[in-house]
Amino acid sequence: MCFDCAQHERIWNGNVMLKIENLHAEVDGKAILKGITLSINPGEIHAIMGPNGAGKSTTAYVLGGRPGYDVTEGSATFDGKDLFEMEPHERAAAGLFLGFQYPVEIPGVSNLQFLRTALNAQRKARGEAELSGGEFIKLARKEADALGLDPEMLKRPVNVGFSGGEKKRNEMVQMGIIAPKLAILDETDSGLDIDALKAVGHGINTIMRRPDRAVLLITHYQRLLDYVKPDFVHVLAAGRIVRTGGPELAHELEREGYGQITDELAA
Amino acid sequence: MSLLALPSARDEAWRWSDLSGLPAIADGQPTGAPRSVDDLWIDTPGPRLLFVDGVYDASRSAPGPVRVGAADANAGRHALGKLAGSTGWTLTLGRDAATEGPVQIVHISTGGANHLAADIRLDEDAQASIVESFVGEGWVNRAASLRLARSARLMVARRFLHESGFQSHADTAEIGQAASLTIASLVAGQADSRLDGHLTITGIEAFAEAGGALLGRKKQRHDAAFVVRHAAAHGQSRQLWRAVADEQAVTSTSARVEVARDAQKTDGEQSLRGLLMARTAAVNLKPELEIFADDVKCGHGATVGELDRNSLFYLASRGIPPVEARAILTHAFVADALARIGEDAVREAFEATANSWLGMIA
Repeated sequence: MCFDCAQHERIWNGNVMLKIENLHAEVDGKAILKGITLSINPGEIHAIMGPNGAGKSTTAYVLGGRPGYDVTEGSATFDGKDLFEMEPHERAAAGLFLGFQYPVEIPGVSNLQFLRTALNAQRKARGEAELSGGEFIKLARKEADALGLDPEMLKRPVNVGFSGGEKKRNEMVQMGIIAPKLAILDETDSGLDIDALKAVGHGINTIMRRPDRAVLLITHYQRLLDYVKPDFVHVLAAGRIVRTGGPELAHELEREGYGQITDELAA
Repeated sequence: MSLLALPSARDEAWRWSDLSGLPAIADGQPTGAPRSVDDLWIDTPGPRLLFVDGVYDASRSAPGPVRVGAADANAGRHALGKLAGSTGWTLTLGRDAATEGPVQIVHISTGGANHLAADIRLDEDAQASIVESFVGEGWVNRAASLRLARSARLMVARRFLHESGFQSHADTAEIGQAASLTIASLVAGQADSRLDGHLTITGIEAFAEAGGALLGRKKQRHDAAFVVRHAAAHGQSRQLWRAVADEQAVTSTSARVEVARDAQKTDGEQSLRGLLMARTAAVNLKPELEIFADDVKCGHGATVGELDRNSLFYLASRGIPPVEARAILTHAFVADALARIGEDAVREAFEATANSWLGMIA
């Protein structure tokens, strides 16, 4: 069965969580994304793979609303709402989570304080009751335990003095506490040793592998996909999705590299 | 009082301060309006003293070893410090003595000008911690002499929270052999301020630290000018200042390290950082080194910038709206300066004060 057909069928079902159509974007006046079309349904895990410079991180940043990443054409809707009409913090409140390749360090602000502020800001924006300190600490400890992160780390300043692996695990704890509908994880696997990679994979599966949630994994390597099995793999090259397939496509890329795809594009 | 007697922007050491409003403020009269100080006492055991318009309020104080009366602040040459006069409070601790908990002093001003001197002397191995809070209106002017004998330890934390008027403070310190002095200042009110310090390391292996956070908005001017003089060998000094300026505020810090010819193996470090919250604000930073010894280590850094856009986006991506995100990152920026305060309860109180200035939700 053709994956395009599968995609079409899913779209016709009218159950799309994220729908990107003909997305063009530029950074510093330079066109990076040149017409991405992609839709993600609840319950699905999609992986975007591609060579360096293909526009992988740009895709994540454009969807997250990072200043300086300008949409020049196309559209994206999230649960039927125009994503680009929302400010970055509004996108988060709507259920979008962006996992960073390089999580930022915030000295002097503990993880607990930071996450409680974040979660309660989102709850407030959605018209939900804010969590008390006690309720929040319970939730945070539960999520840290589930990911094998020392709960003491929650008292430490956000990402300060954390190793690369600890920062990424911390991103997973944040994701667990925030419990988003859609997680866009930008090279979450980069720079991780095998234990941290397993922990991150476990985190993604535990938190996001649910019928009402979805994931867009952005990665350069196939490694993480050994732990998080994607439903769809998309190959991004020169700002466009050039191939879409199932998990086997990731293995093919791992074996043969991106050379063939970039050669085809050049031809 | 006359403007002629005050230094002006023509004096290098005062170029960023604006004292032109002082005579008018000093001409005002204190209103004597009552004010609750409950929110200013930090919940720790220890002596408490309350001064209202520079007058000791015995009924609301528990002075412990602190004496109120004649005091020599040793500020003879300082333009504002010399106005502090010769009455105020003294703390003298004998050998091995220590105060039970920090000495808390609250200064309320209700207008006009008030001046006080302080004289703190710690004998060998004595230990003390002093926490001062300045609130109200008008000009509050203070000068303090700090003398630390061998192995004495003193921690001073001050927060300047005036709603209007002017706040000035001048320290003169002598730090003996292996003694340790830390002065941390937080300026987080609505009034202008000028903080001065002249700390001299007189004994070997002594430690001196001066630093703090200056938070300015509207048209406030905050200026901190500290000098650490190493007159003896093997001394260590740290100067860590964080200057934040929003709207049309000007926050300035000059920090100087002087190393005398004989003060070999001195280890001095300066970290001055400025944060501009608006393009109309200004931050001045002036690190200075004057080194006459040849075997010393003196590091200095001075940077001014805006909030990191990458960090702002990180917070936004977690759902934190822009105003709160800016407050959190500004808090993070000044956190270093307040982290020097040793007692948890005092540090937390100062952090809460800074957060309230930043409009941060706890």
